[in-house]
Amino acid sequence: MANTYRGCCGSPEHGLTRRRFLGTSAVAVSTALAADMSVLSVLKNLALADEVKQQEKRVLLLWLAGGASQLETWDPKPGRPTGGPFRAIETNVPGIRISELLPKLAQRQHRTAIIRSLNTRNADHGGGTELMETGRGKEAGIAYPDLGAMLARELGRADSTVPDYVSMYTSTEGRHKGGPGFLGARFAPMFLDNGLMPENIHRLETITDLDHRERLDLRNLLSAQFARARDSAAVGSHNSAYSRVRGLMASDKLFDISLEPQHIRDQYGPSQFGEQVLAARRLIEAGVPFVKVARPWWDSHGQNFETHLELATELDHVMSTLLDDLASRGLLENTLVITLGEFGRTPQINPSLGRDHFASAWSATLSGCGIKGGTVYGKTDDDGNQVVDGEIGAEELFATIFNALGIDHQKEYQFGSRPIPLTNPGTKSVSEVLA
Amino acid sequence: MRLVRLVSLALALVPLVAADVDRLFADDLPPSDRPIEQVVDALIEARLAEANVTPAPDADDAAFLRRVTLDLAGRIPTPGEVQNYLASSEPDKKSRLVDRLLAGPDFVYHTRNEYDLLLMAGKGSGEWREWLLKSFQDDRRWPQIFREVMLPREDKPDAKAAAEFLKSRARNVDDMTNDTSRQFFGVSINCAKCHDHPLVPDWAQDHYYGLASFFNRTYLTKKQFLAEREDGDLKFRTTAGEEKQARLIFFTSGEIAEPSLAARSDAERKAAEEKQNADNERETPPEPASYSRRAQLVEIALRPDPAGFFPRTFVNRLWARLFGQGLVAPLDQMHSGNPPSHPALLAWLARDAEAHNYDLRRLVRGLVLSRAYGRTSRWEQPTERPPEQLFAVAAVKPLSPMQFGLSLAIATANPAELAQWRENDEQWSARRSDLENRSQGLASHFEIPGDNFQVGLGEALLFSNAPQIEGELLRDSGDRLVGTLKTIGDRDEAVRAAFLSVLSREPQPEESEWCGNFLASRGDRPVAALQQLVWALVTSSEFRFNY
Amino acid sequence: MTADPTKLKAARQLDHTGIFFGLARLPGSKRVFIGCSDAKVYCVDLAAEKPEWKELAGHESYVSGLSAAGPVVVSGGWDGKLIWWNAETCQLIRKIDAHSKWVRGVAASRDGRFVASVSDDMLCKLWNAQTGELLQVLAGHEPLTPHHYPSMLFTCIFSADGGSLATADKVGHVIVWDVATGKQLAAVETPLMYTWDPKQRRHSIGGVRSLAFSPDGKLLAIGGTGQINNVDHLEALARIEVFDWRENKRLVEHAGDKHKGLAERLEFSPAGDWLVAAGGDHEGFIKFLSIPDGRVLFQDKAPMHVHDFEFDASADGLLACGHGNLVEFELR
Repeated sequence: MANTYRGCCGSPEHGLTRRRFLGTSAVAVSTALAADMSVLSVLKNLALADEVKQQEKRVLLLWLAGGASQLETWDPKPGRPTGGPFRAIETNVPGIRISELLPKLAQRQHRTAIIRSLNTRNADHGGGTELMETGRGKEAGIAYPDLGAMLARELGRADSTVPDYVSMYTSTEGRHKGGPGFLGARFAPMFLDNGLMPENIHRLETITDLDHRERLDLRNLLSAQFARARDSAAVGSHNSAYSRVRGLMASDKLFDISLEPQHIRDQYGPSQFGEQVLAARRLIEAGVPFVKVARPWWDSHGQNFETHLELATELDHVMSTLLDDLASRGLLENTLVITLGEFGRTPQINPSLGRDHFASAWSATLSGCGIKGGTVYGKTDDDGNQVVDGEIGAEELFATIFNALGIDHQKEYQFGSRPIPLTNPGTKSVSEVLA
Repeated sequence: MRLVRLVSLALALVPLVAADVDRLFADDLPPSDRPIEQVVDALIEARLAEANVTPAPDADDAAFLRRVTLDLAGRIPTPGEVQNYLASSEPDKKSRLVDRLLAGPDFVYHTRNEYDLLLMAGKGSGEWREWLLKSFQDDRRWPQIFREVMLPREDKPDAKAAAEFLKSRARNVDDMTNDTSRQFFGVSINCAKCHDHPLVPDWAQDHYYGLASFFNRTYLTKKQFLAEREDGDLKFRTTAGEEKQARLIFFTSGEIAEPSLAARSDAERKAAEEKQNADNERETPPEPASYSRRAQLVEIALRPDPAGFFPRTFVNRLWARLFGQGLVAPLDQMHSGNPPSHPALLAWLARDAEAHNYDLRRLVRGLVLSRAYGRTSRWEQPTERPPEQLFAVAAVKPLSPMQFGLSLAIATANPAELAQWRENDEQWSARRSDLENRSQGLASHFEIPGDNFQVGLGEALLFSNAPQIEGELLRDSGDRLVGTLKTIGDRDEAVRAAFLSVLSREPQPEESEWCGNFLASRGDRPVAALQQLVWALVTSSEFRFNY
Repeated sequence: MTADPTKLKAARQLDHTGIFFGLARLPGSKRVFIGCSDAKVYCVDLAAEKPEWKELAGHESYVSGLSAAGPVVVSGGWDGKLIWWNAETCQLIRKIDAHSKWVRGVAASRDGRFVASVSDDMLCKLWNAQTGELLQVLAGHEPLTPHHYPSMLFTCIFSADGGSLATADKVGHVIVWDVATGKQLAAVETPLMYTWDPKQRRHSIGGVRSLAFSPDGKLLAIGGTGQINNVDHLEALARIEVFDWRENKRLVEHAGDKHKGLAERLEFSPAGDWLVAAGGDHEGFIKFLSIPDGRVLFQDKAPMHVHDFEFDASADGLLACGHGNLVEFELR
């Protein structure tokens, strides 16, 4: 199933078409050069399918941009002055109660671990976003990769015909592209900020498919000639990018949710978020290792309860549909679904009946791959003002995510002369939520 | 090695005496009056001999022309320039070419673009870019530019744009500190902020906060002018939990004495306080502080110093731009644990730069006329490709966004029109400026070269399917290459013309055959065939890199 | 009747840690029932110099509305319940599981015969105020907004003669019902009270929060807020529209001129010659519009975001409640 869309390129006709226009000598040259080129590839390490990659693990990040309220979602405080009007309801896991705005997720609590003890200290949109996207504070002079880029690097395959990092952020507020930082452009997201279809993925009508393919063959041939005896990782990445173009163009159908059966579309519902998550499920199913769907904008400084009535209700429906859909396709055990944003919201309710920025005691969830569902980690005090048990920051959360996927969170990258581990030395993951 | 020992000594924050290093190198360094290119080759080749490596042969004329034009003019040569150079049999055609490039209008534009990329990552405003261009047109030297950037005069209309470097970073002392440190002094010091540098014994927290102290009084006023307070110190917490007041330190300088406000007379103190309060409200740029820590930084950074962070970084960054790799690499890791690949060469070049007042053209000329610069980038020997720091074979360097954008514009232009514009420098200067502006849009899609440069999928998809590639670069109108090629009856001639325009060389016989067949198989759609040929050439790796 | 809006002043303030969403005064006394965010109904006798907050337990969430109907007071809450209280003894008489979702408002007819409640189940239920018998279920508001999110039914009000009942929802749809038959008499639209941001933040804000019939029942005043640019905040000016609802003709459009936020409560003067509105955002306001020309007679900041108020019997004073405060205003 996962390979449905693989093999769209690399058609056996290639050799034939080359012969058709290039003459036989070219075929010999290009064949001889092919081996050379593959060795050149900077990504040759990626191509070595290690255990993690063979397991085809994937991640779907539901990015609750602007900062969702933990009190109206995962850490309700009913009856307290800070609790707001919504009740806490029983879930299908005895002892775990969540906000009544999430009735459907409550019935799927066995799939999800809640972390209620994030204290990330940065309650500014920009800084909080950077922190929760990369798992680290900003540092002058070094651009850290975000979670998607690291996981594209860890889980993606060099020869993949599907993108390895797709990021959807349609609303304009707080839009942040994130990116690969020092890992380099190979791991940049395919960023969808306008509709579901990536930019430049369709062939222009002015050129036929045959010509589109054959001019690429000519380009590859000339480039292979150039690459001979010029061992360069950068040149390798150039050829690698072009070698992925046709496959990616053939993957355009992944983004086309009209190809889904109507009953599935109905399940996800008509909202933009629902459609994006459905597209994300299609991508995940086809082997895209990391998809982020941002759902802005939870920044409810006024009318917090009405805002959450809309957004939490939508999250409840769409995420429940997603979990069921992934489970029924056998994908959930290898797919980690995360809900996270830049911070949570103040327990204090302001006179506009809003809640403001709050990073001292808030929640995130992990479901699926590598996660012990039906668990709650960490505890906040009665009013939700402080973490009283199991306090963690961004680093521990990231370590937990890596470990859930079977990735060593202390694995090191090299930035210049400086080794940079996925998470800083000494960081512990939250083993309590790991399966 | 001796250099290594010396710099470690400096750890103790004892100011070094310049004479120590002079003595150290006086015997080791080649004489100061030898031509740069000779010194480069002597020292590079000595290392190669030690390593028992025979360097690669010279690049051919076409490859050299393309390389040096990209490096000095920031663009590929025009087909006319290619033909002239290949046809020339003058024995000194290399040096004549280099002198022509250094004297031409392209050099200042490209120099501006490169330093804009260094200082502002290409995000500088138009005013900043104009100011930088004017600086290089007027042959202002690097220390002068550094001074103007660190001590900008916003009250001077023709100089105020220099403030952009600090203003764009003024909200964050770390940004001012680290970017100034990396870009002007070759030292990445932010690792030493929270604790003594874990990997580099040279840098302790004292150094980080010592350098940050040059910027801690700098701020933006309410009207967004750059200003500097008269007073104020940084405090930090050591890893042992002790609170410490930062002292002004410039790397290995030791603690720098400075006048304190407290020691001044009551009247002076009062005046300083009043100025400070007034500055923040002013409708016009404030006057400089009566004692400015930034001025202190400029003075100390430019003072003759054995460690020579400023001249060495100037030289090292330029070397890296031309040779693809710094003598110290990475470029921001100048410290005792990371010695230069060729210590004497770096020391000699830095001394030479200082002695000739940072004459950029002189230095560039010397470097590109060396044999080391002129080698081919192919390694055809049966042995493994030697490590880059031996400079045995030329590097393959990705084009900067503007080099790439501009080269695309030139590659796909009508060669006859190009030749006309090139006729005189003044005309070309205006045309070049115009082409740069028009290339900005496309250039903004490309990655900025840096460590671990990679081409992303977005670029490949853009070239493969974006309307502006078809509609702009591959248009078959008369002002475009494709429009010219379609008027050429002979297929081989068309292929040859396309190669000259795009790849700045003649095609190899097998390339002629492939491309000729490609066109022949599209006899029913000749214009489309030419567009596809030009597409294959502009998307080739050969075009994307400077080799 | 000596009320003069220009003489408005806050005569007395009682602070509280909670948020008060509704109040009901008992005719002929200074006693008042107040609904609070702490799930309590408080009974306070304002005749006392230092009034005692008598705590009435029964709700399980925010108490959102209160109304007095003769000998009883009926409260509604976010727990979906309606509770009947004995106005004299403060005893709980009955508790009804009235709605499947949060109750947003409760209103009683002036003659004390009927009580109406509105909820996010988008139903208005009409009850026998004395027996608690369910008389009518009025369904007519769409459960979803045009953008597929849950809608909200914020408020309801009876006409003075008790013959008509108006209800209003999040998207600005207002329905007038015939109390006797439960049929719709008319519908009025105030679309500017609802802001949907399709691009920047992709959620909505606003909705009609207050309604008032003129004493003759001819006019219907509708309150909320205007179009909001940044839906994170209540940053638009409070908005009031007055309709001749039978003719579906808008007579007054007060788009606001000074105070921001929601118009949470509206009431006509006994003579119908002016209209008082109160509400707020982070701050509160109270304002008086001349009827029928819509001119602002007087407006000022209130000490808090006001959620509800009622006139004195003589209409020369107002008792208002809201965010952490209970305030007696004088109009003389």
